Amino acid sequence: MRWRRRRKEREADLERELRTHLEAEAEEQGLPDEEAAYAARRALGNAGVVKEQVRESWGWTRFEQFIRDLRYSLRTLRRSPGFTLTAVLSLALGIGANTAIFTVVNAVLLRPLPFPQPHRLVQLWEAKPSKGYSDNVINPLNFLDWRDRAHSFAGMAAVLPIITNVTGAGEPVALRGMQVSPNYFSILGVRPVIGRAFLPEEGTPGKDRVTILSFGLWRSRFGGDTGVIGRKLMVNGEPSIVVGVMPRGFTMPKYRAEIWNPMTLVRSEGAGRGRYLQAIARLKDGIPLEQAQQDLQRVAHQLAAERPDFDAGWTAEAVPMLADATAKVRLPLLVLLAAVALVLMIACANVANLLLMRAAGRRQEMAVRAALGAGRRRLLQQLLSETFILAGAACLIGLAIAYGGVKGLLALIPDQSHLPRLDVVAMDARVFLFAAALSIASALLFGLIPSLQVSQIRPQQTLSSASARLTARSSFRRALVVLEIALALVLLAGAGLMLRSFQKLISVDPGFSIERVLTFTLFTSPARYQNDQKRAGYFANLLREIRSVPGVQEAGSVHFLPLMNSISGSCFSRSDEPPPVPSKARDSQFLVVSPGYFEALKIPLLAGRMFDTRDSFGKPNVVMVNRQFVKKFLSDRNPVGQKLNVCWTVQNPVEIVGVVADARQTELGTAPKPTIFIDNLQAPMYFAEIVVRTAGDPEGTLGAVERAIHRVDPDQALTHIGTLAQVFSDSVAQPRMQLVLLLVFGGLAGLLAIVGVYGVVSYSVAQRAREIGIRMALGAQVSEVGFTVLREGLLLAIAGAALGLAGALALTRLMRTLLFEIPPTDTLTLASVTGLLLFVVVLATTMPAYRAAQTDPISTLRYE
Amino acid sequence: MGTDRIELLQGTLDMLILRTLILGPAHGHQIAKHIQRTTDDLLQVEHGSLYPALHRLERKKWIAAKWELASRDLKREYKYYRLTSAGRKQLTREESKWKQMTSAIARVMWPIEEE
Repeated sequence: MRWRRRRKEREADLERELRTHLEAEAEEQGLPDEEAAYAARRALGNAGVVKEQVRESWGWTRFEQFIRDLRYSLRTLRRSPGFTLTAVLSLALGIGANTAIFTVVNAVLLRPLPFPQPHRLVQLWEAKPSKGYSDNVINPLNFLDWRDRAHSFAGMAAVLPIITNVTGAGEPVALRGMQVSPNYFSILGVRPVIGRAFLPEEGTPGKDRVTILSFGLWRSRFGGDTGVIGRKLMVNGEPSIVVGVMPRGFTMPKYRAEIWNPMTLVRSEGAGRGRYLQAIARLKDGIPLEQAQQDLQRVAHQLAAERPDFDAGWTAEAVPMLADATAKVRLPLLVLLAAVALVLMIACANVANLLLMRAAGRRQEMAVRAALGAGRRRLLQQLLSETFILAGAACLIGLAIAYGGVKGLLALIPDQSHLPRLDVVAMDARVFLFAAALSIASALLFGLIPSLQVSQIRPQQTLSSASARLTARSSFRRALVVLEIALALVLLAGAGLMLRSFQKLISVDPGFSIERVLTFTLFTSPARYQNDQKRAGYFANLLREIRSVPGVQEAGSVHFLPLMNSISGSCFSRSDEPPPVPSKARDSQFLVVSPGYFEALKIPLLAGRMFDTRDSFGKPNVVMVNRQFVKKFLSDRNPVGQKLNVCWTVQNPVEIVGVVADARQTELGTAPKPTIFIDNLQAPMYFAEIVVRTAGDPEGTLGAVERAIHRVDPDQALTHIGTLAQVFSDSVAQPRMQLVLLLVFGGLAGLLAIVGVYGVVSYSVAQRAREIGIRMALGAQVSEVGFTVLREGLLLAIAGAALGLAGALALTRLMRTLLFEIPPTDTLTLASVTGLLLFVVVLATTMPAYRAAQTDPISTLRYE
Repeated sequence: MGTDRIELLQGTLDMLILRTLILGPAHGHQIAKHIQRTTDDLLQVEHGSLYPALHRLERKKWIAAKWELASRDLKREYKYYRLTSAGRKQLTREESKWKQMTSAIARVMWPIEEE
């Protein structure tokens, strides 16, 4: 390298120049050689300093010093592998955990939706503030009026996720489909890769026999053949022409559709009933969100006045699409991010502590270097370069940990989970930047204070007095350990609350038995079963055929499986009251179940009778109710035999024939609500969740059940095949994942804090070896010495615990909504994690205490 | 010595070095001595400032250096610095700046009484 040779020449040149200076000075003074040389040297001052200053004026020294510092730091770090390993590993764990969680936060919360101008896209909902309903699905007529009367939107499209049966391309399949307004794709701003999007006129009945395929479906089912355009498929039993294929990865944030068909919305009497649509819209250019919201609410207000029976009390919401999709996961993710940030802070405090301890041992080295002419800035630079090496190594290892961590995290999440946008979780440039920034920030955090302290060393003092190392400041280190314990306690409190909450949640009795129940979804083909009578007959045959399969004990259907966050609601009134009006009458949950459903789930009958063959299609409609319903609405009379008028498409009034026990429906954490059960064989839905109780392994009978179904209709497809036990487990997947992560982070934090306490106490024991020796020589008991040390650890722990409890009380409030039946100030949890932490901290100090007690007074005193 | 020494103002050392070199090439020791003598030892040039300053000026090409035999006794080689033409221009600039500053300071310190 040329610059190095030139550098060498320069060094020699400077050396020579300074030497000639000294000679000239000596000559001038006229003194004998030796004396002259000494005087001259004194006049010149510290030659090393002069050289150093001149070198600095050469300019390239910065870089060179940096390289030299790095080399020197690597050497010193290699010389103390224990320190290096501990420091790098604790930092790497902190950085890795943070990066892993940030990877998820980045993908789910931060990364924009994959559409042009995604922030202009909104999701529309109905809302009824008086009942606390927000993001409620939309009535078709209301949607049409919003679309026609609101001026702030460039476009508005209705969306209905729906399972779609496809035949005519291999096996009959039920696909995740979507019925959409024809302008759906243009609102999102995405065009098909082949073919075309829907035309406006394809949103009218009769012209809607067109289909668009997802990229994945096109590849898997049609072999990626471009000739698929124009091909005829049987979609829900009707012929439909494939007109387009959407690009790879095109999906809504929460629902990954495989096939799209146009939705035909017309103003009819039927459209005025029921709420079931979703809708998206794009804001007009230049219109701010608030204005659009007001505009939409103005329309909703008009509608409430025009159709008070149906719309009174209802309003409308426009929520940015990304916020809407991530609303439920935002808080849990932020809590995790906060928790993991605490872990990193503890790791930083730990490393700062290690550095301080190391620095105390290096006071001599620093003093010598300062005496030899190293300026304060040079010392500081050198120390900081060490911390940056630590941080750099920790960053690399942390990225590896994060990579593994993200994989593990995703493995914790079931496929059927409702978590949005997990398909895009990956480490991108932003994640790498985050990790790098985090490493630099933590290097500054843990490195600056110890470095400043060391570089303040005054050489004369340190070198002249042997007692210097006894004065090493340890109060700051103690403060760091107290902080570590406090932070660890906050985290453990969070994890403990989550644990108790989760235990409570999974020990909730759902009110039904989840063992040995096979579940799957059926969508009936509207072409084949056009009317209620045909569907009722079909379902009756289907259930009979399934029950005849060997190993099947009972079979039934329900329109929404429990614990899937799904339920219908509608209004009713007793027959001795005026007929029900949607906006005024009482509300109840509605479930459409078939005979055999309650038996299959072992939900006991409390009064009256179950649905049975007497309640066939065309016979007077009957209903069942649950205990909650009786308690709330019929507590003063015998419920069986009572008549109701319900807002459901059945012949009113309906008679209550039986009462069943309460079972949880929407989710495990929500108490049962009053529910009216309609008989699916009297008022059949076009889809059903079939539940099959089996004698043995439910999945083992699947083949036979499927064959039984195909005996009734060979084209019937099954989806969402699973067991009720899986449904149960998946329904608590999110709290379980939060729990696992918080436990991991809490454990990590506790471990780091213990390492911190152990380090500080054992170091102080080592420092005070002489004092302990003297005291023991003067007759102090072994137990007394040990106790002094233990007390030191205990005091640190108590101070940390007090601070931590205050912090926990302040911070765990933020996770109130994540907790099930546990208040964030749960005394038992706080007391037990505090006790646990105190115990392990004291345990961590027993080793140094034991060592102190073993001190041999003679040998320590001799060393001095 | 000691008490009646004055700290050099920031940047003035460069100017003094350039001014000294107008008289002809000189090595570091001579420059220091010259400044010291002409100011009756009032200005002491710290070597820790002198050599960095010389190397800085050299890097800016205001002075050039060359090892030469001493003119007095031809036994020893010294590193002689001499003014370049860029250095001459720089000196003029610094001089006028300095004049402006001293007169400005003077006006603050000893204002002319109004009649």
